[in-house]
Amino acid sequence: MGQRDRVSAAAWLVVRDAHAAEDIFQNVALKAMTKGAQFESDGALMSWAFITARREGIDWLRRQKNAPVCLDETILELLEKEWADEALGQVGGRSQALRDCLEDLPAKSRDLLKRRYFDGHACEAVAEQLGARLDAIYKRLSRLHQALKKCIETKLEQPAG
Amino acid sequence: MTLSEEQNELFLRHLNGQLGPDEEAKVADLLRGNAGARAFLRAVAEQAVVVADVERLDQHKPQPAKVVTAVFRPWKWAVAAAAAFVLLAAFVIATTPPRHAAKVSDILGPCQYIAADGKVRDEVKVGTVLRVGDTIRTRSSSAWVKLDLNGGSLMTIAGRSRLRLLNVDGRRGFQLAYGNLWATVAQSAGAKPVSIQTPTATVEAKVAQFDVETHSMTSIVRVNSGTANVVRLADGQAVDIVADHQAIVSARRSRPFASARQPEPVNEWSCRLIAGSGAVFGKWLPPDKKNSVRLGANPLLIGKKTTIFVANLSVQCSSSPPVLIESGSRVRIRGTTRTEGPVYFGITTQRIKGVFFGKYTAKVEAGALGQAGEPWQVEVPLSQFKPKAKHLPGSPVGMELADIWIVSPKENAELEIHSVKFLPREVGQ
Repeated sequence: MGQRDRVSAAAWLVVRDAHAAEDIFQNVALKAMTKGAQFESDGALMSWAFITARREGIDWLRRQKNAPVCLDETILELLEKEWADEALGQVGGRSQALRDCLEDLPAKSRDLLKRRYFDGHACEAVAEQLGARLDAIYKRLSRLHQALKKCIETKLEQPAG
Repeated sequence: MTLSEEQNELFLRHLNGQLGPDEEAKVADLLRGNAGARAFLRAVAEQAVVVADVERLDQHKPQPAKVVTAVFRPWKWAVAAAAAFVLLAAFVIATTPPRHAAKVSDILGPCQYIAADGKVRDEVKVGTVLRVGDTIRTRSSSAWVKLDLNGGSLMTIAGRSRLRLLNVDGRRGFQLAYGNLWATVAQSAGAKPVSIQTPTATVEAKVAQFDVETHSMTSIVRVNSGTANVVRLADGQAVDIVADHQAIVSARRSRPFASARQPEPVNEWSCRLIAGSGAVFGKWLPPDKKNSVRLGANPLLIGKKTTIFVANLSVQCSSSPPVLIESGSRVRIRGTTRTEGPVYFGITTQRIKGVFFGKYTAKVEAGALGQAGEPWQVEVPLSQFKPKAKHLPGSPVGMELADIWIVSPKENAELEIHSVKFLPREVGQ
């Protein structure tokens, strides 16, 4: 699950659409299965998966009108490398910790994240829906992301069991 | 290195596609040189996809069945009686025709509220609740009203527009008699579809973001997300308009009626005044020696004892593709005024494939118009347009141009317009 989240997240950084990112992950997984034994190691598989997801993401962007400005590919490579370098054992734990942290969020915060990332509304639309100022939405989102990041770290530091 | 809150917000604005080239360069520099920045961006991306995944699972999660042990308790009779009463009340409520409401959540410029019982109020405040039968009018090119329809659904009318809440079976009904409307119909529990009647069409949507521009003979419906069903009243033909598509609904059956993909945006617009289709407010004047096309400003009563003189030109009505506003864009207008005095240029903007954004105006001083009675040509750069509301950014760069209007506050100025152009930045600028 952790690797899936990471490949999807890498695709999301390109397309900024969670549903498109999920589709891209599915395509990558399908391609990986058909490639089968061609990968020498898990690391090689992940490296290939990140590159393929990025390419698929860029193709998806080309098909969209008014697509967001994509980050420079050298930066995307840097981010993917850091994702790939994280110890494989930690990944599943982080993924579950994030899900647990989301469960613990107040309903209002989760609603904000849902509107932005599941419904895919731009921050301006979210601000309009919630009757809030755009700056306030950025501030709330920024604090939420930081809080979730800290929550994951805290959960991972706790001894298992 | 830990990031500041401002830096975190910069990344979120980048992900929202809101940054200009300078800020994008700053984001790139931060990501190249700061591991903390990269860690934050990776965390946001992971959280975004996991939020979507969790919500997706939640929506497909079956509700657990509850096993109830049948134990008789006398107090249950009281609860049962209360429940029966509630059911009866619910039945009465359910058989009463449903009435919807809309709350004014934002307002700017002259507006008028006409209650169902005929009472008229020239001042409308945020928080005013409109009910079935009530009407709201935005009375000036620079005015707008935002309405909250509950459950996350929103509507904005702007410019010269008139909207009435209707009682339509199983729908949240509205009548847009004329003007511009932007609607976001969100999915929420128990929410009914929205139905908008115009002079030529009925537009219905369950979940969609769309806009409607309507005049007496034509309505233009553009759907940016979701689906809207549009019925042409002239013959009852219906089409579903999906995201990125639009339809022009004429009162004439002979005009084509079909869903078509929205054209790609362009960065300039020449209102084809000669074809007559772009002018949505004003009066045609007979040609004179100097000008074959003359659009005179029409009087517009915007409040008690206040009349302005306006000519208004719409991008959509001129059959132009969407027009993207860029840094360095310019508005060039030719016209005449018979007396010395300022004129005002205004632009209405909306998000590309999205909701109403805001209005911007620029004052053109009498000195820039030359001698009274002589034709003038004025070019106003985008940077001179000022936002009409405090919450708007200083510039509408990156937005879409919806219309341009020209205003003279004086009747004896006899403002007339001969040409309107929205130009891209000058080469080399």
